[in-house]
Amino acid sequence: MTPQKDTSPAIEIQGLTKRFGRTVAVDNLSLTIPRGSTFGLLGPNGAGKSTTIKILMGILSAMAEKLQVLGVDVRTNPKLVKQRVGYVPEMHHIYRWMRVSEVIGFCRSCYQPWNDRTCRETLDLFALDPAKKVKHLSKGMLAKLSLLLAVSHEPEMLLLDEPLSGLDPIVREEFLEGVLGTICSRGQTVLISSHMLDDVRRLSDTIGILNEGRLLVQDNIDHLLTTTKRICATLKDGCRPERPPEGTIWQRVNGREWIATVRDFSPDKVQQVSALDGVEHVEVQDLGLEELFKDFIKGQRVSK
Amino acid sequence: MKINPSSHVPIYLQIAEGIRAAVAAGVYRPGEALPSLRNMAIQIKVNPNTVQRAYDELEREGLIYAQRGKGLFVAEKGTASAQSQAGDGVRRVLDEAVRAGQAAGMSADQVRELFNKAIQGMIKIGSKRR
Repeated sequence: MTPQKDTSPAIEIQGLTKRFGRTVAVDNLSLTIPRGSTFGLLGPNGAGKSTTIKILMGILSAMAEKLQVLGVDVRTNPKLVKQRVGYVPEMHHIYRWMRVSEVIGFCRSCYQPWNDRTCRETLDLFALDPAKKVKHLSKGMLAKLSLLLAVSHEPEMLLLDEPLSGLDPIVREEFLEGVLGTICSRGQTVLISSHMLDDVRRLSDTIGILNEGRLLVQDNIDHLLTTTKRICATLKDGCRPERPPEGTIWQRVNGREWIATVRDFSPDKVQQVSALDGVEHVEVQDLGLEELFKDFIKGQRVSK
Repeated sequence: MKINPSSHVPIYLQIAEGIRAAVAAGVYRPGEALPSLRNMAIQIKVNPNTVQRAYDELEREGLIYAQRGKGLFVAEKGTASAQSQAGDGVRRVLDEAVRAGQAAGMSADQVRELFNKAIQGMIKIGSKRR
């Protein structure tokens, strides 16, 4: 009999809420990530990205209707999740007094299976010196060691929490190569949280934007970028726009210039704006991921 | 090949355009293999699924073809088809330039003059091909 292939999503969250005292860190979050995809989790500092990832790893407890990782309920079986997921935390918890080779030996004894070949290849790719003590590693080397440990136990999924912050461009590129190499070899699901939006764009097929614990949007990255646009209008002297077009996520009036960023763009929306009293000239601009991200967040701050 | 992650243009389209340009320029010639999915993904630092999408697109166009177990190869008519496709890319950029001129309130003659200057610059740099 052939084993049945598990077709459950890599991550399935429904109604997840996490409070720290009176602060709501994650607010009724629902998120499904299919297997084999790469998901970029974006959000300003304090949005709840790390908290969500820690909950998925079973490090933090939380209330949820559903909280499944690779078809396993994290709350009842956190050990199984840890065995099957490679985790690169924001803060590395690697014993500083150990040598690189000792850290590898230690992790090797904790995980079944452990792939010595992957481990050796990654060690070579990253030019990590096994004899070096962890406390003597640079920040970049430490990040690479953390990724090495996460990929060597052949995980079905990688959870990368801000792995690129504070790394120089060369190390970032090497880190990306390491992640891409393992995606190419094993077709893993990857969830990466990062402020390095260009790198997220290169890696991800889907993104989610988290703000104050709530998911503002989850969409295919290309779809979101080609359907979100800025409508820029020139206003006649003394005129203020009456109402923004439907689907506006953020707008600003600055002198005669009126800018509205809209989702689900269509030419009708331009016509709508053109038809408004006081509008002289209308132009449409495309957005990059960084501008799109900022407009989503700024829109939330204004609407408060 | 240069990928611009800050652009709104889907990365798979950027890759497809980059490969078309490379074929048109003779970097990859008819009958030659393209880099494997893995090599291309790591070389340009892009998710392999995205590279696959670009390869699918080029296969549909007939620029490249798959040979089972061997990889992807540039089609016999690849160079000619890439050159005509590259023309479409140039047209898009020119359209954008004309729109920018129009938005700035320039006349057709003023835009034409700028275009002629750009062509002059191209002749100075010179092209050995054709």
